[in-house]
Amino acid sequence: MLPLCSRVLLSHPFSPMSLMALREQLNMLVNSMYIEGLLDQQFQQLQMLQDASSPGFVAEVINLFCEDAERILTELTKDQAVVDFQKVDAYVHQLKGSSSSVGAQNVKLACIQFRQFCEENNKDGCLNALNVVKHHYYLLRNKFDTMLQLEQRIQAYDSKQQN
Amino acid sequence: MSVGSSYASSRLENNRMPDKFPVGMKVLLVDDDLTCLAVVKRMLLQCQYDVTTCSEAKRALSLLRENKGAFDMIISDVHMPDMDGFKLLELVGLEMDLPVIMMSGDTRFNVVMKGVSHGACDFLSKPVRMEELQNIWQHVVRRKWLDSKEIEHSGSVEEADHNRQVNDDSEYDSTLNDGTDGSWKYLKKKRDAKEDDDGDLDNVDPSSSKKPRVVWSVELHQQFVNAVNQLGIDKAVPKRILELMNVPGLTRENVASHLQKFRLYLKRLSGVAQHHTGLNNSLCGSSSNAKVGQLGRLDFQTLAVSGQIPPQTLAALQDELLGHPSHSFAMQTTNLPVPQQASVQGTNCVTFERGIAFGQPSLKGQAVSSLPVWSTNDPGSVGSASNLGRLNTQNNNMLVTMLQQPQPHTVTSDSNHAIKMQPSCLVDPRKSSSNFQVQGNPMLLNQDFVVPSQSSTNYQGGNTVVPAIQDSVVVTSQSSTSLRTGNNHFITNHRSTVFPSESLTGFSLGNDTGLLNQVSILPPSQTSNNFQAGTKSFHINQNSMVVPSQLSNTLQTEKSIMPVAVNYNPLPTQSDIMPSSMGQALDGGFENLAAVDSYSVSISMVPEALSSTGSSTSWQLHHPDVIIGRPHGSPCLVPNSCNVQATDTRLGKFPEKGQGRSLGFVGKGTCLPSRFAVDDIESPTNDLTNTGTYTGDDGYVLNQDIFGINGAFQSGHCATTSFK
Repeated sequence: MLPLCSRVLLSHPFSPMSLMALREQLNMLVNSMYIEGLLDQQFQQLQMLQDASSPGFVAEVINLFCEDAERILTELTKDQAVVDFQKVDAYVHQLKGSSSSVGAQNVKLACIQFRQFCEENNKDGCLNALNVVKHHYYLLRNKFDTMLQLEQRIQAYDSKQQN
Repeated sequence: MSVGSSYASSRLENNRMPDKFPVGMKVLLVDDDLTCLAVVKRMLLQCQYDVTTCSEAKRALSLLRENKGAFDMIISDVHMPDMDGFKLLELVGLEMDLPVIMMSGDTRFNVVMKGVSHGACDFLSKPVRMEELQNIWQHVVRRKWLDSKEIEHSGSVEEADHNRQVNDDSEYDSTLNDGTDGSWKYLKKKRDAKEDDDGDLDNVDPSSSKKPRVVWSVELHQQFVNAVNQLGIDKAVPKRILELMNVPGLTRENVASHLQKFRLYLKRLSGVAQHHTGLNNSLCGSSSNAKVGQLGRLDFQTLAVSGQIPPQTLAALQDELLGHPSHSFAMQTTNLPVPQQASVQGTNCVTFERGIAFGQPSLKGQAVSSLPVWSTNDPGSVGSASNLGRLNTQNNNMLVTMLQQPQPHTVTSDSNHAIKMQPSCLVDPRKSSSNFQVQGNPMLLNQDFVVPSQSSTNYQGGNTVVPAIQDSVVVTSQSSTSLRTGNNHFITNHRSTVFPSESLTGFSLGNDTGLLNQVSILPPSQTSNNFQAGTKSFHINQNSMVVPSQLSNTLQTEKSIMPVAVNYNPLPTQSDIMPSSMGQALDGGFENLAAVDSYSVSISMVPEALSSTGSSTSWQLHHPDVIIGRPHGSPCLVPNSCNVQATDTRLGKFPEKGQGRSLGFVGKGTCLPSRFAVDDIESPTNDLTNTGTYTGDDGYVLNQDIFGINGAFQSGHCATTSFK
């Protein structure tokens, strides 16, 4: 591990930020996501599952989730004229499942709401709910992007050190 | 799907030792949600299971069908696009009879109920947590058990194992059960092959009739070791051990296998003993707990039994445990025979045992040790000595030199000392004449232990021995000489209590010996000569209380006092102990020292006492009656002695008037000798401040803390000079 204090790579090509600053920024970001409800305890489990043997685990899961979610949202956004509640419900169920697996709390809660409307065959409700889900998802996705970038840069430091 | 590679590896898993289960349990994970698949897969891997993932139910089925026995269990999602999870569940149950666990984000009652009715073993709700996955292996085991039980009941009336063997084979041969896990089959085959062996399987083999597994608890192991010791390690046979242990339900086989392990252990230890330096090194710097734990309690007991531990190893270990770096100790290599049973003569090697009241099962008290040690004895509470106070530090697991076998009777004989030890051992050289006999240059460290003895000499050091007793309670009940050191010895009693109750000579020091009592209590109740110093010997009592209760001149002190005695005298026969007193002047007799701050100790000295010769006495006193110092700073008569300068020093009185021996006690100051050595007398500026332990040429160690008197004593590297 880097002795953070003693190795401030000011002249690092990647960025002028020191490793320590990067880490701090990442921590602050993740913490804020917890506080704001974007992430829940499941994400903590993911963090814990990441270790030396699987250094890219969290990134992998996040990527899988994002792919899944966007696929589903795309599907849901199509054909809004005629709503097939069952089909919609199935999609939403999927999204709910993957968001809960990754710890995306706000998205999950929005999906639960969405499913409620589906059960009630409430089209407007569903459309509204879809927007809510999208809103939460893209918010989360944004932060995930930043998070992964930071993590990438941090890991780049490590690998650079090893070289 | 990561099937291929994991499948290939799963084949290898068949060869895994069954007793490593559930590690390597083969799980097939089916879920169309890739995110969840990735997460659960990682968790399962973390649980050390073998995972195969599949995002399509149909694919999963074909996998299962193609590779019978490739999987131990299946975890499947409920809602899947191509096939309903429950359907998969049904099919698996029919065809393969494997345990299936359902997963879903939907945990409504009807969903779960459906799972149950379709035969699911369990139902996990998403998001799945790690804790839930850790115990899923139970479903595999349970199923196997139930299966084998059914077969057993339906089998012919034969010997159980054989029955199982036959039936299990037939079971496995049937196509219906082709899905049976190959690993279990393998397990059975292995077990069958070992039928002739001792049937005591330690493995978790649910298919076998489980023999009650013997748990070798502390108590049980202690009984075992006692029995072994009683028989003698060489003569200990399982049958006899079993008889001695007299534990209902214990079989000869249990004992035999345990004995085998024990023997291996002993062997390993004696190998360890050979590489004491390595041991020292390995011990250094590690937490005492860790290290002690490394040896394990079994180790200690074994050591106690076999005791092939050279003193320096012992000391090193002890130091390690104590947290006292043993750099000051001169470690020499002496490999000496182990004292067995009651006879300790001539053994240089001391068995040490951690904590177990090996000799005194009766002395078990509360566990104080932080180590998972047996010896759980209270700090010595001597019957008579309420003054004992706290002897021991509580947080150490001490290696203790332990000699004897458990003896039925209690440790201390007369002084009705109900001595209990602290997490250390009870040294009970009950009948030996010399319990610790160290030749050469060994270092003996006793910590927290009691040495009750009827022996004449508890500690007997040869040349350049530095026995150190620390935090121990040394009770020599009937000994004549509880501590005896030969030439160049130095005994350190650090926070110890020495009770030579009937001893004639509590401390007997030969030439160039020093006795350092720090914070110790030495109530020799009946001694005539508590402290005997030979030539060039000195006693240093710091914060210690010497209470010769039955002496002609008794000292009775309530608090710990620091007797400062002048050490003097070149001749062993000289006798007079000169406890120096502070505060009150003493006449020839002793006075009760009741006051806290000042005690008077009479000092009677032979005229020639304390004359320092080139090689002799450490003291140079020229007064027959010397009062050494006062607690409040009054200088003692000892030249330059500031020993007694401590403000809160209390001196105790030493008995010993008219005793044959002379003992000198030096108050604080490690470097007592230097202080008072002839050479140094002229240099009052000798720094007596304790700077730590140091070993002189004579190999004695003066502990740092011993002389805590406010700088009264300065460390004296010159200490060595005084002792030749």
